Formats: sequence, structure tokens, C-alpha cells
Amino acid sequence: MLVLSEDEALELLAFLVTAARTQVDEAPEYAPLRLLTAAHRLSAAILARVSPATRQVLSESLAQIGAVETPSADPDSYRAKLDALCAALARHLGAHFGRSGGR
Amino acid sequence: MTPEVLHAIRTRRVVRHMTAEPIDRDQLIEVLKAARWAPNAGNRRLHRFVVIQRPDTVRLVRMVAPGMFQHPAAIVVICIDWRRVAQYGMPRQNTGVYVDVGTALQTMLLAAHALELGAGPVTSFSKAAVGVLLNLPAQLSPEVLVCLGHPAAGGPPPMRPRERITWQSLTDWEAFPDP
Repeated sequence: MLVLSEDEALELLAFLVTAARTQVDEAPEYAPLRLLTAAHRLSAAILARVSPATRQVLSESLAQIGAVETPSADPDSYRAKLDALCAALARHLGAHFGRSGGR
Repeated sequence: MTPEVLHAIRTRRVVRHMTAEPIDRDQLIEVLKAARWAPNAGNRRLHRFVVIQRPDTVRLVRMVAPGMFQHPAAIVVICIDWRRVAQYGMPRQNTGVYVDVGTALQTMLLAAHALELGAGPVTSFSKAAVGVLLNLPAQLSPEVLVCLGHPAAGGPPPMRPRERITWQSLTDWEAFPDP
């Protein structure tokens, strides 16, 4: 299923490439910010075309981290939020891709 | 300085959420007129302002500006004119020209605030890509994008500082103690 149009994909690609360039000269704390901004933009672009379960995890979990939040102000809290986001995503991946077995 | 100016300085915020409503050309010109009065070393005016209002160009520039969270109605690109810098015999590493970028930027932000427009600076963008998109002459380097638009509710909160900032935390008086 195509969930991203060519225009949307190009826009996201431009963001990623130019962010790679700007990040060379910017504070390291911006690196996770840029990656999450890309995730937010990808999420916004696909939200209407994905399954209800994916839509739920994207709209609820990604929203837990502020759009311009960086690790600088409270690194421990930022790590905890990212861990929670990664865990929520992992649970969804397991369900979405139908993980079998496991330990 | 009048109380109104101090009030404007204290209440200005970076606006990262804007409506799709266009900006009147007259308001845009007022912002540019204000920047003309920004303090500038030697009154040399080594900068150029490139104004973008066409929605398709604004969209393209936003695509190569990772730091641009807002969808602005207009963008003013503050550029340094390096040919004029050289004509004054100034070395490329002279930092004064960057200070003057800052004075022009802050003056534009305050003027926009006075006009009840939202404004926000963006320095996280690809200079190379913006140069291509705007066909900038080689002597112009884009240094900051000033996003302008009508403020919308519900934008992201401001970036939190690492520690609480006061004027005292930014200030030392007189000379530092002898080592």
C-alpha cells in the first residue's frame, strides 16, 4: 500500500538531507530533535492512510515529546520519554508484523 | 526609550505556529522599513533582504530549512553581500557583519510584533539549497530566514533553557577579579 505520495516523499527527503548538512554545524542536542521532527512529518503524512492501530500509536506516542523539545533542559526526562516512545513503537511492531514465538 | 518599546521587547516571542492568511504587502514593507533603521557598523549596509511571498517559493524554501516549524506567509532572507564587504577592504573573518545581521533580525522581529504579526528566525537551513532556489548571486550568502505570518493558537511551547535565565545570570559588573 502506498502511504506517501511522491511530493510528500520528496519533501521529507529534502528535510533529511538538509538536516544532515545543518547538523554538522549545529549543537548536538539538535540531532534527536531533527530526527523526531522527521518522524512527526512522516507521521502527519501517512496518518490518514494507515491502519487504525498504527494511527493510534503514532498519534498518541509521538505526541508525548514536544515539537521543539531537546535533551538539554532535562536529559533524564528526555531519555525516559524516548524510551517510552521506543517501547510503544516496539509493541506495535510486534503486533503489526505478527511476531511469533519469542522468549 | 518609551514604556511601549520596553513592553514590545518583553512580550515578543518566537512564533512557530501561523495561520495560512497572507500578509498585506504594506505590513511587510513596514517590517523592511524598520530594518533599514537597525544599527549597522559604519552605516555600511553590507546586507540585502530578499523577500519571498509566493506560496510555491515559500514552500520550497521550507523544504530545505529543517529548523522551520512554522508555515510562514512570507520569509525575509537576510543576506550578507560579500562583494561589498570586500569593497570596504574588510577580511572575510570580520565578525561585525554577522552582528549587523542580528541587529536587522531583531529589529524585524520587533517591528512584526508591533504590527501584531508573528515572526520567528530560522538559521537551520541549507545555504546551498536556498541559494539555488532563489537564484542568489554568488556574492550573497543567506544567513537567516525571518518567518512572518499571522500567529495561530496551539503552537509548540518555547524551547526550555538549561537553567533559569535572569538578567543577573547574564551579567557581570566591571572587571573580573584578578586571577
